[in-house]
Amino acid sequence: MISVRDVHKSYGRIYAVRGVSFDLPTGKVVGLLGPNGAGKSTTIKMITGSLPPDRGHVVVGKADTLENSIEARQLIGYLPESAPLYLEMTPEGYLHFRGKLFGLDRKARRAAVETALEHCWLKEVRHRRVGTLSKGYRQRVGLAAALVHNPPVLVLDEPTNGLDPTQIHETRKLVRELATNRTLLISTHILSEIEQIADRVLILAGGTLRADGAPSDLIEKAQKIATYILQVRRLHTGDDEKVLKILQGLPHMGEVLPEIADRATQVRGWSLWIVKGKPGAPDLRESIGESLFRAGMVVKELRRETVSLEKVFLELIEGSKTLLPEVADAQGATA
Amino acid sequence: MRQVFAIAGRELGSMFRLPAGWIVIALYLLLAGYVFAQAILIPGQPASLREFFAVSGWLLLPVVPAIAMRLISEELRSGTIEPLMTAPVGDWTLIIAKYLGACVFLLAMLAPTLLYPLTLFLIADPRPDLGPVISGYLSLILQGTFYLAIGLFASSLTANQTLAFLLTLFSIFGILLLSALGPQIARSMPGGWIGDVIREVLSSFSITTRVEDFSRGIVDTSHIVFFASLSSFFLVLAVVTIQSRRWR
Repeated sequence: MISVRDVHKSYGRIYAVRGVSFDLPTGKVVGLLGPNGAGKSTTIKMITGSLPPDRGHVVVGKADTLENSIEARQLIGYLPESAPLYLEMTPEGYLHFRGKLFGLDRKARRAAVETALEHCWLKEVRHRRVGTLSKGYRQRVGLAAALVHNPPVLVLDEPTNGLDPTQIHETRKLVRELATNRTLLISTHILSEIEQIADRVLILAGGTLRADGAPSDLIEKAQKIATYILQVRRLHTGDDEKVLKILQGLPHMGEVLPEIADRATQVRGWSLWIVKGKPGAPDLRESIGESLFRAGMVVKELRRETVSLEKVFLELIEGSKTLLPEVADAQGATA
Repeated sequence: MRQVFAIAGRELGSMFRLPAGWIVIALYLLLAGYVFAQAILIPGQPASLREFFAVSGWLLLPVVPAIAMRLISEELRSGTIEPLMTAPVGDWTLIIAKYLGACVFLLAMLAPTLLYPLTLFLIADPRPDLGPVISGYLSLILQGTFYLAIGLFASSLTANQTLAFLLTLFSIFGILLLSALGPQIARSMPGGWIGDVIREVLSSFSITTRVEDFSRGIVDTSHIVFFASLSSFFLVLAVVTIQSRRWR
């Protein structure tokens, strides 16, 4: 539904986005992640048609955002960050206004406004001025405005910003529901949110696309080298050497880091180990536990460290913080 | 067309929902009413609204920038320009709609002053000439809509409403000053074709001469075309400014 092809955008001499390409199909929630200045907002602006790319193309449906901008914009429902609204209007009035902008006739508009008010839990405040509403309600008005013309593409920038925990839960549920027959792109800083609702994640850093895949795939990929945390009872002198020998003797075993535990832990008679498997090694928990048990060792804890999306994200953006090349340099590099 | 009316309607509604809109109307009517009571409603004098139209023209100077300053500036400041520019609305549609909303507000502000000629028609003997009254209102509308076009352009340049107000005020003032001093400048021009061209431009640029004609009841098509052309020029500039925002 959305095709982004090799888009570049620079502000003055600084590249905001360079060579980003991806396709967004219908029926999937795609999360757009990235640190501040990664190019997320610029990418969203290019998709929503408020900013043209310097190079490359964005196609929404069958409409190029440069050549058929109006047609492309007709297909998109957009919730900008912090949901800017006309404070003197009522939610209902604003939704009718948005409906008119998207060409809905009176009958269709009435029905659409009712649906949007209901979807976003705004019925009780429909006649109140937006300026008197809380931040959470305003966010919901912005969301309702993005939905009112029933667009096939939804672009939501920080959709749960300012909502309370119940509303966050409900909004995530709504996003999942909306995605069944739409293309849905969400930009957020809340990584756990993306982990929960996104089918796919795009990670931008330094204006380039650093990762593209399902959250589970990205985590799996980052977990190529599994790490195990192990606590073993130290009963006798030389037990640590014994444990080290057993662990190093196991197949597929990589690095073994003994005595990482702090002094207090050691005094209590437990030694802490951080053990790494070789790249592509199977789960080693069973073999570690079994071999230590056979040697008469008491194992207090044995767990495989799980990598969160946050860690994947941090690893991916590591080193890209200064990757905002000047236009001339980047052009020189590509030439 | 539906979009034009939607944006114009929203703009107009906002002006009437905010205290600023009512304050502008109230101040204008207060001053216009004072002029009517003090300079026109005088027993024994011929019934004419000439002074009212002359003063009203000057009253537009602070009033119109106050109407126009928020048209685009407020959208830029509050960020509402983003959902507006990502809706399927062309830049021309946006500018025409904003302009239309502001023009209707201006007409709504002038509408209560129709009571003044009505009063004169009811109580004055002999009754005032209808021609200068109609041409006087036409002059006010043409001046007001021209100033609004300048204000809309100024408003598209900045997110700061105060700056937009001052830009509009000084632009109008500059044009009026140029218009008033035009003949003097023209006289001081050297001979030759350059001097002739400048003299020609300055004389055709005179707003005060045209307003004078209107106040005498003369409705010259060239005057209407003059104001319409200048208004269109500033609307084009506003569209170009909005378009350039997309390319920044």
